[in-house]
Amino acid sequence: MTKVTIPIGPQHPLLKEPLSFLLTVEGEQVLESTLRLGYVHRGIERLCQERTYVQAVHLIERVCGICSHIHTTTYCQGVEALSGLQVPPRGLYLRTFLCELERIHSHLLWLGVLAKNMGFDTVFMYAWRDREIVLDVMEELSGGRISHAVNVIGGVRIDLDAAHTRSIQQRFDELERQVEKALALINNEPSLKARTQGVGLLSAEQVARYCVVGPVARASGVDVDLRRDFPRPPYDQLKFNVITHPAGDVWARTLVRVQEIRESLSLCRQILAQLPDGPTSVAMKRRVPPGEVVSRSEAPRGEVIYYIRSDGSDKPARLKIRTPTLTALITLADQLRGVNVADVPVVLSGVDLCIACADR
Amino acid sequence: MTENWMQRLVRWARRKSPWMLHFNSGGCNGCDIEILDLLTPRYDVERLGILAEASPRHADILLCTGPVTRQTRDRLRRIYEQMPAPKWVVSVGSCSCSGGVFQGGLNVLGGIDQVVPVDMYIPGCPCRPEAVIDGLARLLTKIA
Amino acid sequence: MDFEPVIAALQAAFPDVDLAPRAAPLDDTFVTIPAEGLRRAVTLLLEDWQLRHLSTITGLDTGEYVELLYHFWHTHGLTLRVTLPYAALRIASITDLIPGAAFYEREIVEMFAVTVDGLPDPRPFLLPDDWDGGAPLRKGV
Repeated sequence: MTKVTIPIGPQHPLLKEPLSFLLTVEGEQVLESTLRLGYVHRGIERLCQERTYVQAVHLIERVCGICSHIHTTTYCQGVEALSGLQVPPRGLYLRTFLCELERIHSHLLWLGVLAKNMGFDTVFMYAWRDREIVLDVMEELSGGRISHAVNVIGGVRIDLDAAHTRSIQQRFDELERQVEKALALINNEPSLKARTQGVGLLSAEQVARYCVVGPVARASGVDVDLRRDFPRPPYDQLKFNVITHPAGDVWARTLVRVQEIRESLSLCRQILAQLPDGPTSVAMKRRVPPGEVVSRSEAPRGEVIYYIRSDGSDKPARLKIRTPTLTALITLADQLRGVNVADVPVVLSGVDLCIACADR
Repeated sequence: MTENWMQRLVRWARRKSPWMLHFNSGGCNGCDIEILDLLTPRYDVERLGILAEASPRHADILLCTGPVTRQTRDRLRRIYEQMPAPKWVVSVGSCSCSGGVFQGGLNVLGGIDQVVPVDMYIPGCPCRPEAVIDGLARLLTKIA
Repeated sequence: MDFEPVIAALQAAFPDVDLAPRAAPLDDTFVTIPAEGLRRAVTLLLEDWQLRHLSTITGLDTGEYVELLYHFWHTHGLTLRVTLPYAALRIASITDLIPGAAFYEREIVEMFAVTVDGLPDPRPFLLPDDWDGGAPLRKGV
């Protein structure tokens, strides 16, 4: 049979963002694939060097729309460490509350997109309808559904009172019921299992070689989670499970992510119950003392790492961002080899691509 | 110029079923997920007759997000040219209106009106779904 | 895993050089190794200490030389610092040791005009194929 090259992207119904795959296909099987990134490259690292530390927060929030808060959290964590700022406990708790809310919204978004790309529109509609609960809470707290602008260098600029906390807890009850239904569906629905089991396989050895992080690594049985392994406050005061699964296929990734929603809901409840009193931020000085810092945190897709070097001025001398999607993208060549063309959407959706994050 | 009944029918049909194609020409994804949100139960734009289409050849309206980067410029132009006339372009979000926060970025050329003619600008960072629906509804009054 | 024995082992592998280990905030340690010793250091970390997770490779232009930082992590952070003078912007690839380094090395090549010897796929990574604006993250570009 002759080999055919099928381009996927930059414009493709599967892809919400432009990137280019070239699949070499023989019959129904994918032989090889090549990847071209860069369509969303905006040169953010260089732009940040032309802005002050405070102006850079606004830009870094827009590296990615889905995981905007964790980007500013990691950045602010690094600058605060360089400046010797101690964020008050209430500020750290509120910051983490948004981080976990963002994890829930990101995983629900992903579940809907995976289902849509599989042709299972019902789950897309249900998942995104339930996601509105989380977006409402984030909007009430910060004024924005997607871009919250909650983090300032030195803490957060939002606060919660008791009445608001009660209202949030009630909505979490409803969300929990919906998540349990989703979990039952993933465990029992034959069509979903048939399409995702055995597809997009990654072994634990491949995960280690490619330095993969996040749910993709955990779904291959690798037990890594920066919230537990590098517990910045308040994670050292909160209890949660790190979900892993040995199968290494898209079904395992689905299970891991939906169970992580459950864990994040539990974390959110603990945060609301244990919220300490006090201020939510401290003032920062305009200039950051010279030094360098490596700041890491666990984004919805895995380890996000920021390297910041300061030279004593009010602008960062170097800001380097590496997002978790890059680690998943490098495995796609292996994952796509030998799959049927009809399974390509499931494989691509299974790794939770966020090209805006990868390209910066 | 007076219309015959056929032209009136086509104009009515066009207003009642504007099919859209969504393209991200280099944005952060925030506006894209809000556009995708339009299809979901809370906002449900299908009641306005709007369907998200997969191919440029099926679409009446191009909903574009994100600033234009060097790599997406030619693709955006080609997608616009593939759409059959009459077609309209909606620029969703501040980045596609003007380049937004990324103005001056090394790969960024600016808003999408540098590449394709725009009929409706909907600012916002990111753009709320209500704003997108408002913009689309106003565009529909322009269409017909 | 405590990193003191790791750093001691690295220092023993480079007896003529002072690695000058420096603690950085948020639980990281920076050691400076000579450019020609990169593969030796990475092999030591992989084989003797199973330190396999490379978070990323940062490049930066200080104005006097280019620095490459290899960020490793296993319960604590360890960063290998390599300095390259402008006249000799070459470094060996570690992609055969750590396949996950491929994307990070490609980015270093295009952003800093560093030659990475042995990089299997040296195509542009993020920049367009027809980019002619120089290495964007170098000073003065």
